[in-house]
Amino acid sequence: MENIYLPDVVEIADVRDETYDTKSFALRFLKPERWKTFDYRPGQFVEISVFGVGEAPFCLASARNGAEVFEITVRRTGAVTDVLHTLRAGAQLGVRGPLGNGFPFDEVKGRDILFVGGGIGLPPLRPLIWEMLGKRDEFGKITVLYGARTPADLVYKDDLERWRSREDVELMVTVDVADENWTGNVGVVGSLFPKAAIDAPATVAFVCGPPIMIRFVVTDLLALGFADKDIYTTLERHMRCGVGKCNHCLIGDKYVCTDGPVFSYQQMKSMMDPG
Amino acid sequence: MSRPPVYVIAKSHLSAWVEKMLETAQVIAPRVAHGPDVAYGELEAPEQVAWDYSSSLAPLKRFLFPQTDTLLRWDKQADDGLQLEPAYDDTERIFLAVRPCDVAGVLFLDRVFTRDREDIYYLNRRKRSTLIALTCAEPGEHCFCVCAEAGPFLKQGYDLQLTRISDEYVVEVGSEKGAALVGEAEDLLVPAPEVLMRARRELEQEAKDRFADDKAYFAAALRQVTFDQVPDHLWDEMAERCLECGGCSFVCPTCTCFLVADSEIGDAGARERLWDSCLYEAYALEASGHNPRAERRHRLKARFFHKLSYQFAKPLEAHGCVGCGRCITACMGSNDMPAVTARIRRGAL
Repeated sequence: MENIYLPDVVEIADVRDETYDTKSFALRFLKPERWKTFDYRPGQFVEISVFGVGEAPFCLASARNGAEVFEITVRRTGAVTDVLHTLRAGAQLGVRGPLGNGFPFDEVKGRDILFVGGGIGLPPLRPLIWEMLGKRDEFGKITVLYGARTPADLVYKDDLERWRSREDVELMVTVDVADENWTGNVGVVGSLFPKAAIDAPATVAFVCGPPIMIRFVVTDLLALGFADKDIYTTLERHMRCGVGKCNHCLIGDKYVCTDGPVFSYQQMKSMMDPG
Repeated sequence: MSRPPVYVIAKSHLSAWVEKMLETAQVIAPRVAHGPDVAYGELEAPEQVAWDYSSSLAPLKRFLFPQTDTLLRWDKQADDGLQLEPAYDDTERIFLAVRPCDVAGVLFLDRVFTRDREDIYYLNRRKRSTLIALTCAEPGEHCFCVCAEAGPFLKQGYDLQLTRISDEYVVEVGSEKGAALVGEAEDLLVPAPEVLMRARRELEQEAKDRFADDKAYFAAALRQVTFDQVPDHLWDEMAERCLECGGCSFVCPTCTCFLVADSEIGDAGARERLWDSCLYEAYALEASGHNPRAERRHRLKARFFHKLSYQFAKPLEAHGCVGCGRCITACMGSNDMPAVTARIRRGAL
């Protein structure tokens, strides 16, 4: 019988600063053969152990690649992430996963795709954006709208530059509060919708960000004419086990960890959340 | 099975039988804890079994899913990198003279811990467990197992089921494991004559009649919780009475929420899971500070949704209550299962 609580050991291969409070970690299995069975899809997540401190869930923030490493992007915000931020290349961590359902991919082929990310909500969308760009001719128009509180809160600046320079993807970035060097859009991410020329009935939207942002963006999308089933988001909840046993992430009878974390707005509407 | 599946053992032979059990396994049985209280505990000698007890302070849960359970150990100084060692409990256990509601509680845990993905820590203990039920002729002060179809006699799920008929115990075999246990004590158990079988059937009917006095009105509560029809003011009023002690969760045979915590001394560490209660304020608190169940009424509602809704009852093949009545004893705010279901039925506190 498999032990669903037993992590595999990974080593930090690389650490990259994203913002003043956010870092990306590239992780590599200590046993290289584990990579072969580590078959994940965008939208899935892993439970990362900092042994002696604890375990916490993070989305898989990179597409599967030939380098045999995967990335997580971590904002320093609690006990596990505080310690994670002090670790350097070579440090050993635990990983369980991939966990959860992941985003639809084949199901949305042929449609226009709209990504809406807020702040630290871009990491779950990033592998999906890259995988769709990797099969570019199988999708319609691809638009990425990304908003952050300030220019200093923008993650993946390299990716943003690469998407900006491509002809086959439209990227628009906005910040709530500009600094003296910012020449781009100012305003919440929803303020980009009128500029983005979105054909709502033809489009599937993938939305990820803080709860308040998701609420406003979904309202905007519905006003634009999006169908409930064409709006996807990934939900976050406090999790302990990630495998549907500890019950902490329940919303009604849905486990965010195993039934999600990706839900369509249509599903979310029928979820009985007592909270 | 070639042998008849029902046996009888004289009361005077019980000690000899328990002695045999003690030679092969750890035996957990009802024992006098303090004063009038009885609790399931490890047996050291056959005479410690409190055969005539009514109910145990706590259910069997803690023996299969301990309040603090080590999942892993590690040593960071190992030569070839971090080594993780799962900590499995391989103890063979016989649970003796267990009340039917508590056997039903274990059967519920079986489904929780095998649903979707299997929990190796629970199942490792469970497959080394033998359940010997002891049927109930008289209801205890808070018993309502009849309402939960969890007693006072079991139809299935036991390895052996004992029923006392004056100076003898009828022994029903419910599994291969139970048959083997009987086989090891052939000198003490003999096939039950028909007259005893009839006495046992009559006792079951009498017991059911006696238990019918105490009722938990599940039907209305199940429907209203399933369809989210319980008036909000009722959750508010019940939340006012909840002290967030977590007692109801801890004594409940079907509650299994847990959290996970690491501890470390030097380079050696361990990961443990610990019982949690969904009524605690920090239960759903996220690292960001966001708490989707910040208010107690939401947590209380979530608890009874998990216990009573059809959405959970369907995959778990039962509602999350076996009618043991322990929450009645534990809850200082009277938010116990019979009281809550009665309030939902009445639509008032």
